[in-house]
Order: sequence, then C-alpha cells, then structure tokens
Amino acid sequence: MEKSKNQPIFSVSDFIAVVNQTFEYAYPNIEIEGEVASFKVNQGKFIFFDIKDKGGSVGCFMTVWQLRVPIEDGMKVIVSAVPKLTQWGKFSLTVKAVRPSGEGALKKSFELLKAKLYAEGLFAPERKRQLPAAPSHIAVISSMQSAGYADFIKILGDRWGGMRVDVAHVQVQGSSAPDQIIRAIDYFNQQEALPEVIVIIRGGGSADDLAAFNDELLVRSVAGSRVPTLVGVGHETDESLADLAADVRAATPSNAAQILVPDKEEIIRAIHVQVSSLLPRMLQLISQYQQTINLQLISTLKVIESSIDDQQLRLSGLKSILAQLSPNMVLARGYALVRGVVKAGLTIEIETNKAIIKAEVKNVINK
Amino acid sequence: MSSINKSIQKKTAELTELIAWFDGEEFTLEAALDKFKEAEKLAADIEKDLSSLKNEIQIVKQKFDSET
Repeated sequence: MEKSKNQPIFSVSDFIAVVNQTFEYAYPNIEIEGEVASFKVNQGKFIFFDIKDKGGSVGCFMTVWQLRVPIEDGMKVIVSAVPKLTQWGKFSLTVKAVRPSGEGALKKSFELLKAKLYAEGLFAPERKRQLPAAPSHIAVISSMQSAGYADFIKILGDRWGGMRVDVAHVQVQGSSAPDQIIRAIDYFNQQEALPEVIVIIRGGGSADDLAAFNDELLVRSVAGSRVPTLVGVGHETDESLADLAADVRAATPSNAAQILVPDKEEIIRAIHVQVSSLLPRMLQLISQYQQTINLQLISTLKVIESSIDDQQLRLSGLKSILAQLSPNMVLARGYALVRGVVKAGLTIEIETNKAIIKAEVKNVINK
Repeated sequence: MSSINKSIQKKTAELTELIAWFDGEEFTLEAALDKFKEAEKLAADIEKDLSSLKNEIQIVKQKFDSET
C-alpha cells in the first residue's frame, strides 16, 4: 500500500480485501428479511437469488447443501449472511442459511418440501416399522427444560417402568435445532446397545417455533434412522414433516408416551378381572355338576319306583291267584269240607260256607 | 429387556395358561380350587411387580450443539 498526502492508495485487490475485512468486522453475521427473486441453481451446486423489498434488492449466493428448506420466487425469507464484495466489484451476500419468514412463506416452504419428499417415498406407509409393545430401552431427544419433555417423562413413569431411558438434551427450536437433533439421532444410531425406539418430542409453539421439524436434513435423518422413530411435536393439530417421516406419529409428547408403553394400571385391572371371572365360572360349573347329579338321582329313583310298581303288580296277581285257591272261596261256591274218619257209625265234621255240622256216617260206599 | 420385565412377562404367561386351564379339557372340579388360588397369587405378584417398577433415566453426557 502506498501513501499519498497521508491517504493510502490501495491496489484493487487490497481494496476489495479491506472492504471485506471491514464487512466481516462490522457484520460478522447479518440477518436480512426480504422477498426472493430471480432464484436459480447453477450446475446443481450453486444457488443465486436476489432478496428485495420495495426500496431495494441485493444479490445472494449460497451452495445447494446449505439450503435446508425449499424457497422460490416471491417467498418471504430471512437470510443469515455475510456481506461480500466480489473480485469483480459486485456486492453480494454470501448466505449461510435461509428460513421462510411469516406464516405464508412457512406454509409454502412446507408444502414444497412435503411434495418433494412424498415423491421420493419418504412418507410411504410400507416404510413404517412397528414399535415394540413394551420396550425396555428407549432414547429420547428433546429439550429437558421443555414442558413437553416433562409431560412425556411423567406419563411414561405413570404408565410403565423398568425401562432404561437415555435422554439427549438438544435445542428444539431455532436455527441450531435441526443439526443438534440430527447429531443426537446419529449418536443413538451408533451405540453398541441400540435403543429399541428413538422418541423425538417437543411441545406446542408457533409455526416458526416448530419450523425446525420441517428441515429437510432432519426429516431425512428421521426417515433414515435404523432405530424405529416416534415423533410427537406440537399440539394435535400441528403437522411436521418429521412426523410424516417417522415410523409412528404421536399427536403430542403425552400421546407419544401413551403410544410407546402399555398402561400398568389397565393391565393390573384386566388381570384381576380375569381372575375374578374364574370364581363365577367355578360356581357355574359346580351348579352344572349338581344339576347333573340331581337328574341322575331322579332317574335312579324313577327306575326304583318302576321296579316297585312291577313287584306290587306281580304281588297283586299272586294274591288274586292265592285268594282263588283259599278253601273259603271253595266253600263259598257251595262245596263243603269234611273232617274226620269216614266210617259208618263215626261222627264227622262238615264245614260249609255258613255252618259247621257234626254228622254221623250211616254208610260208606266206595266209588 | 430388563429382568423384571421378563419376570412379569413370564408370570403373565403362566397366568394366561392357568386361566385357559379352566376352559380346557383337563379341568376337574377337585383341582380347580388350587388352580384358582394359584391364579390369585400370580395376579397379586404381577400387580406388585408392576407397581414397583421405575424407569432409569440416563442423561447423555455428549453435547450436540456442535460437531465433535
């Protein structure tokens, strides 16, 4: 650098370097909100677009892999960037990150990425894996200070026990959240003792708060996890792309705990109901046995009664026959019974139906 | 799977088997009372085991705010 009248004279390159140093010092990281215009991708690697408002426009440059959410012309965004003067003297912003700004842009970006990942099959039902019915080792990725995490842990403990719960504390909103969650997913996927499920939870918040869960790399990481994933983000009405990519989606963190483990109180109740139902069943069986025995007794009694009736009938017949054979019946028919020695001059006794007669034998003539 | 969970699963399987016995062909009234007492004890054991279970929460020491 030369000096002229105490003023430095720069070479063009030096001037550009000094300007860039000044920019770096003054604006190490600047965030600018504006509308995207002239968006284009060159060679599949480099992205160029302008960010503008009513009063002006600034050119932006970034690489494809730095773009974590889809953007298009007309979308309102906030860029995190470093101002830079290029070697051709053109001022531009070297963009580190872009995020949609405002509900409309967030929704648009969400829909664009959803359509893209849907077309790739990331949300396909056939990719979904079942969670174990009662896991004994799970991993939780969440902010430990969040209400959603507290709800999840409380309901988990109320419903089930005996589990090892590994917790990775991460940011669940803001620009650093997606990368932290991705690192935690990677961490659990690399463990020697793999958890049976990775649970990613966050309580409710604004669309901007929940935007981290629509980050493309995070969604891909959830879908690519070799450990099955359960994602419960926001309230019931909230839908994130991480939800859609997960093996199982929970409406809320509390719902995630309900999905993950059975309710021990319900199991205890069901067991007692099952055991209690045995007693009436036993009593019913005893009653059935009693009825069978009673029927058998009645049947036996009937057989005995029938036999007695038969015997009585037979006896009655015999009695009748016997009665016919009685000497009185013979006497009644007019015959007489003679007792004594039938010899002339001796007295004999003659018994008729109505009298007993003493008589003397006058004569005996043999037949 | 933790050993307590295993024990609960084993006991639950035993209880299911016992309850099925009451509907099976091997059922006899003479053995029913003993089997019923056995089922009651198993149910009480399972309840005790389930009620005493606590989750073991381990916070991962690794920080995730930057690449390691």
